[in-house]
Amino acid sequence: MRSNRTAWGLLAPTLLVLGFAGLLPFFYVVYVGFFDWNVFSKTGDLVWAGANNYRRLVFDTEFLAALKRGIVFTLWTVTLEMVLGMALAQLLMREFKGKSFFRAVHALPLTVAPIAVGATWRLMTIPGLGPLPYYLRRIGIDYNIGRYAGQAFATTVLMDVWHWTPFVTLTLLAGLTALPREPFEQAMVDGANRWQILRHLTLPMLRPVILTALFLRIMDALRIVDEVWMLTGGGPGTATRYVGIHVWRVVFPKTDYGYGSAMSVLLLYFTIVLCWLLLTAITQARRETD
Amino acid sequence: MTRTQKPPRRGFLPMETNLFDRIFIGVVLFVAIHLLWMRFVEQYIPLTVATILSVVLMYVIAKWG
Repeated sequence: MRSNRTAWGLLAPTLLVLGFAGLLPFFYVVYVGFFDWNVFSKTGDLVWAGANNYRRLVFDTEFLAALKRGIVFTLWTVTLEMVLGMALAQLLMREFKGKSFFRAVHALPLTVAPIAVGATWRLMTIPGLGPLPYYLRRIGIDYNIGRYAGQAFATTVLMDVWHWTPFVTLTLLAGLTALPREPFEQAMVDGANRWQILRHLTLPMLRPVILTALFLRIMDALRIVDEVWMLTGGGPGTATRYVGIHVWRVVFPKTDYGYGSAMSVLLLYFTIVLCWLLLTAITQARRETD
Repeated sequence: MTRTQKPPRRGFLPMETNLFDRIFIGVVLFVAIHLLWMRFVEQYIPLTVATILSVVLMYVIAKWG
């Protein structure tokens, strides 16, 4: 009984912080999602709207397009980051000259705030000023993210990959370092090649770490705002208007907090469902191969 | 005093689940049914029907899923 009380006492600060900083805002957003709330209205009060915000949402083609765009962006960035991160983590497991320097430099983008990353990439891509349009023009490419939607989308993907691949690399590197050496030595003695070792030993043993990195990146990529906001502002047109930016554009200039909350809740719902489906698929596939 | 968690079991769902998993699946389906209903069916049948169906489905999944 006494140890139970001690345990709850030790957990209390964490539970309090989680409750006030995590659960309370979450339930408040869910609550506001059922109201019409415009601070510039006559009373400025919350007016009960029932499911109207969600009803409006399922017919909102702009929101649905932003959601689709966000999912495509997430698929591109997370796939590239996982593949590159794995390759770099494998590289950093080997000994080579300048390894420590490379590891430190490679991790530098992680230390930069997203808003600064967006601003830096903006400077690099301004036509007539940035180095990217300058060098690309020299090889015959007219690069202008303010004009071409495809280029703007690709640049936001590149920027996210540049910013977050080191996170995946370091996470996977930590996992690789913690793996036992014996199975790998045994596999080499048995004549397994590098691909077989990766496919049958490294990836299965690293699965929990890979899943952690994957889910963190999916959640982060789906709700991206600041970097893209600084780089393209969601444009040209709506080419890079991902859900986070769409929510921002609806909530702040129009002060439509109820509808904005409904959009945020729906984005959270899609994120959770996507991660859960992925986890279930991976777990099932793993069971079938075992 | 330690309460033991019920072990995962296999019902009609194509995977082993514990009670939390089944409630989670129920809530996910509850929301999905309501959203799809509002988009495609509500002009013919009111949303209350979706709520009743979803609650029944949640119970069935939690009990036998």
